[in-house]
Amino acid sequence: MNKILLGLLIGALLGAFDGSTAWFYPEARAQLAGIIVGSTVKGLIAGVAAGIFARKVNSVPLGIMFGLAVGFVLAFLVAYMQHDHYIAIILPGSIVGLIVGYATQKYGATPAAAR
Amino acid sequence: MDHDEFKSGDGRFPATRWSVIAAVRSEDDADRKRSLDTLCETYWKPVYKYVRLRWNRSAPDAQDLTQGFFIEMLERELLNRFDGSKSRLRTYLRLCVDSFVMNEDKAARRQKRGGEVQHLALDFAGAEEEISGGTIDAAAIASPESLEEFFETEWLRSLFALAIEDLRTLCSERARDRDFQLFERYNLDGDNEISYAQLAQQYGIAVSEVTNGLAWTRREFRRLALERLREICGDDDEFQREARTAFGRNAG
Amino acid sequence: MRHLSDKALTRLRSGADLPDVGGTRYRLIGQVARGGMGVVYAAEDELLQRRVALKVLEMPGSEGELANRLTREARVLARLEHPGIVPVHDVGTLPDGRVFYTMKFVEGQRLDHYIESLASAPDRLRIFLRICDAVAFAHARGVLHRDLKPANVMVGSFGEVLVMDWGLAKILADVTHAEPNDPCGNIPRLPANGGIGNTSGTGDGRVMGTPGYMSPEQARGETELLDARSDIFSLGALLRYLLTNQLPAHPLPKLDRSLEAICAKACAPERERRYAAVPDLAEDVSRYLDGLAVSAHRESIFDKLARFYRRYRFFIWLIATYLLMRVLLILLIKH
Repeated sequence: MNKILLGLLIGALLGAFDGSTAWFYPEARAQLAGIIVGSTVKGLIAGVAAGIFARKVNSVPLGIMFGLAVGFVLAFLVAYMQHDHYIAIILPGSIVGLIVGYATQKYGATPAAAR
Repeated sequence: MDHDEFKSGDGRFPATRWSVIAAVRSEDDADRKRSLDTLCETYWKPVYKYVRLRWNRSAPDAQDLTQGFFIEMLERELLNRFDGSKSRLRTYLRLCVDSFVMNEDKAARRQKRGGEVQHLALDFAGAEEEISGGTIDAAAIASPESLEEFFETEWLRSLFALAIEDLRTLCSERARDRDFQLFERYNLDGDNEISYAQLAQQYGIAVSEVTNGLAWTRREFRRLALERLREICGDDDEFQREARTAFGRNAG
Repeated sequence: MRHLSDKALTRLRSGADLPDVGGTRYRLIGQVARGGMGVVYAAEDELLQRRVALKVLEMPGSEGELANRLTREARVLARLEHPGIVPVHDVGTLPDGRVFYTMKFVEGQRLDHYIESLASAPDRLRIFLRICDAVAFAHARGVLHRDLKPANVMVGSFGEVLVMDWGLAKILADVTHAEPNDPCGNIPRLPANGGIGNTSGTGDGRVMGTPGYMSPEQARGETELLDARSDIFSLGALLRYLLTNQLPAHPLPKLDRSLEAICAKACAPERERRYAAVPDLAEDVSRYLDGLAVSAHRESIFDKLARFYRRYRFFIWLIATYLLMRVLLILLIKH
């Protein structure tokens, strides 16, 4: 599996899971489907960005930092639009980015032409 | 490299040569006598010094014992019992000397012996001078290892001295006396090393001539020493081992 | 007859020991190593102005077993052009009658010295894989090394790994062609059955090799039975040495089960139970390095889980951290 596809997959899975935890917040349950879709899209964006980055740069620490930064920016934008739940959105979102950044560096194949 | 320059098999290094062990077992008396002469020539001095220092015998006693040992070697056909797979000839002979000296206390027996080696003019006085010259420390040859080492060094000294005589003859035959002098001056004289440039200055020749002369004499010396060595080895394996002992240890 | 002083004796010995390179393109620099077959000197190739290693027999003569072996070694090296095998430059006979060949001068350390400074097992395994590459290449060219051991592997100053000392090599198959006009016409001819062909330098059944590293069939002198699996045994012993710093004869500390199984399979006393080819052994070591199952070891479910955990340890910890943080956030917000 190539790195972009891997990033998309992990980003989507973690994003969907992250969104589904909104179920534990009764005030958010009404918009659960929208939250899951939004969070999945956020994970997909982080995943594809980290995957592309991993194809260009071969460094686990840099990959982690890049993933963390992308996750943080995306989560901050979501939290900023809601003007609420900053910590509950930014912290997990950043960690999802970090995980995707790490996974795309460590696993997944790089096409020879991409090196 | 220009390979044509370095063709082997030009006769400088005969692969097979008469071996003293093969000859001593020969039916031919002349061969046997020649083999004993060769052995005596190489080994008498190491044996004499060994008896003097290891067995702490007086010079006259050691001379008798040395003569007696070589007679005994012939009479009792000691070399027929030598087994090259068990030890080197050098070690075997040293152990024979030990055994001979231990058993040989009867001066009368020794004196009545004449034998086939009496004709060898053994320069005991010269050997005595070398001992008293202080190059050998008798106290340092107490352990079995040092005995072997001592005998090895004396054997090598004797072998090389003979090879140097061969080299002198060769140089004389080929009108290369100056090369022999260079060899002597560079390798044998004095305690301090002399440089090629100093030698060139002393002899009034170019450094390249010194280099070439020394390279040639060194090569010939090695060849002559190996020929001598091959004569006194039991077989090719022993020859290879002894050659490594002779030339390998101090290099580099 | 003149008396030789100790000093003169020493001078004569060392002077006569030096190879006579007069008139050749080489200038001796110093002795590098002395082995059973000959002496290796560092030398300057004055034509190309580069340093080379000059391996020379101790004894003159272009006939005889040692001369044949040295020449065979040079020819074996000449047919093995591989980054993991030291390249040979020249072969011939010196003016003093000694057979020699020159090869690349490797600046580095013997493997047994080098690994003392190499702590990580994966780094050692990666070196082992490069040794396997070179040996596999030689096998593909029909050459068995027959004396693989740490002392015969050099690690260069740029990390290059070179398999040295092919003096005991056995040629299994002819993959080169003898030219009618041999450009090295003056170097000793190999005996009719001693150079190229299904032969070996020690094909007379004599035991040659290094105890602990040579296969049982090699130790028994069954030279006609030797094939790639004999070198695989030596590689297995070398792998053990790399992982444990212990000579094969010593009691070995416990290894990871997969590695232990790889070593055991490579060093199986019956050659039928060993890896069939070096690439199979290398594949298992690579799979181990990648955290994958190895063919030499049948895993239990616990082994599989343990390997899965080892392989994805950091990732698993990241996910666990994320989940923990999620739970803490939910609890925090609920209260």
